[in-house]
Amino acid sequence: MSRPIVLLRGVYGVWLREIMRATRDRGQMIGGVSRPLIWLLILGVGLNPYFRGEVFGEVRYVIPYTYLQFLFPAVIVLNIMYTSIQFAVSVIWDREFGFLREVLVSPMPRSLILLGKVLGGSTVAMLHGALVLILARFADVTLSIEQMAMALGLMFVLAFGLTSFGVILAGRVRSFEGFGVFSNTIILPLYFTSSSVFPLDPALTRTQTATAYPEWLVFMVQVNPITYAVDALRGILIGFNQFPPIYGPAVIFGMAIIFFALALVDFSRS
Amino acid sequence: MNGAKPHRWLQAALNIAIVAALLVAVSYLPPDTSLQDRQRDGVLKVCVPPSYPPLVTGDPSRPGFDAELVDAIAKNLGLKLALNVLPSIGKDFNPRNWSLTRAQCDIIAGGVADTAQTRSFLQTIPTPAETGWVGISATGTMPPSGSTVAILPGTAGLDRLALSGWLRKQGLRAQLMRSPAELEHALKSGTVAAGITERFVAASLDLDINTLTMFWLDESISPRFRMALGLWKGDQTLKRAVADALELLEKSGVMLRLSVRYGLDKDIEEPVSDLQK
Repeated sequence: MSRPIVLLRGVYGVWLREIMRATRDRGQMIGGVSRPLIWLLILGVGLNPYFRGEVFGEVRYVIPYTYLQFLFPAVIVLNIMYTSIQFAVSVIWDREFGFLREVLVSPMPRSLILLGKVLGGSTVAMLHGALVLILARFADVTLSIEQMAMALGLMFVLAFGLTSFGVILAGRVRSFEGFGVFSNTIILPLYFTSSSVFPLDPALTRTQTATAYPEWLVFMVQVNPITYAVDALRGILIGFNQFPPIYGPAVIFGMAIIFFALALVDFSRS
Repeated sequence: MNGAKPHRWLQAALNIAIVAALLVAVSYLPPDTSLQDRQRDGVLKVCVPPSYPPLVTGDPSRPGFDAELVDAIAKNLGLKLALNVLPSIGKDFNPRNWSLTRAQCDIIAGGVADTAQTRSFLQTIPTPAETGWVGISATGTMPPSGSTVAILPGTAGLDRLALSGWLRKQGLRAQLMRSPAELEHALKSGTVAAGITERFVAASLDLDINTLTMFWLDESISPRFRMALGLWKGDQTLKRAVADALELLEKSGVMLRLSVRYGLDKDIEEPVSDLQK
């Protein structure tokens, strides 16, 4: 068997292990279901009436979609973020219990071991994002095959970048407990400042936006890369972009390349 | 003796199947009470303008396409139709300025264009009716540069800026009309070489079809829009029920019959691009 094939089989083996471990883990699957249920069912339905067009004569919410439709792509990104970044737990686990040591002494290059792990984590994260798509009917989002294919492609690249980011975090955290706190202080602030639950009206100028929201918040939304990931998925799934449509894919692909490169540097050193 | 070893993917497949089934079941939960409220009251309140032919005519013997459509929808939902005629509808091209309230209307019909501007205020269900800018002239084309064209913008929210820019580019002089009657008079008297207005306003004019021809303006000037039924954002269950009723009406041929009855199936001439440029 030629060496490239052997190496590819090695990548496949690492990928398969991640997939089997994640899909057999009921706790992780429950997490993948509970988030969309909480965010769409409870928050989405709970706030939906407050984002109606008619608020006794005063119109505030001018986005041409319902609040549930607006929230739907953001919940997909949230599911991907949690699964991707928490994938780092598996890296810590492997490090603690010796699997990683065994793999690292194999003839496989470290870059390919990392690639297999990141691809495995990305696939699982994308599947968790895809679970949210099942609720499209509930959110009144109509999807074509093309939209689904484009969304899944973008979700995978986003998951790849975020999983690599999780590996970078894992390199800096030595315990499971530490990682739990760390992940929550990263995931939730990134999610809330990504224009996921409130819109920045694209029809407004910078000055007008600053009258609706404080400038520091607008700044945080604009510098947050997840903003552009949510925006890209909104563009595909409900046809609504708050920023130029090219920004989203550019940021998602940029994140995937940069974070994987950084993860590779960290992983090679460990 | 041990039994057969379960397949290695069995556990994973079971987990995925359980969560997918749970999410599918959840997707059938009603996200609001809008339909339930209508069923409890037994009435479907629909707001319409006094007249917007052929969608709403005000004539009980021929009430209009939208008026008959919402009646059929109400019957399909087992509700009594309450038509609420609001003169404020159509007074402005932005539906936010129509002074609509949830207490008056469950559905808004008869002049709601399915545009992004409308959808920023209401959620929409498109109907077969289509609108856009149409030209009216004796030749069936726009007149040469330097001619005067009568303009009646209408209230469907079509892009007036794009139209005025295009008129300037063509070297046509625009003469603003204040009412359909004024446009009709200008065309009949020949004081203008052509007229431009919204499709349904044009359809309401009493013009001699032997001397004047109606034709679509090129879509590059302003895209055409489907007309729609407007519902309040957030009334998801009502929207689903109305959409399902519309689908049934379409399958049963009622929609086609109404389209024929009100002339929505009639073709308007497509633009002759080389003459308009």
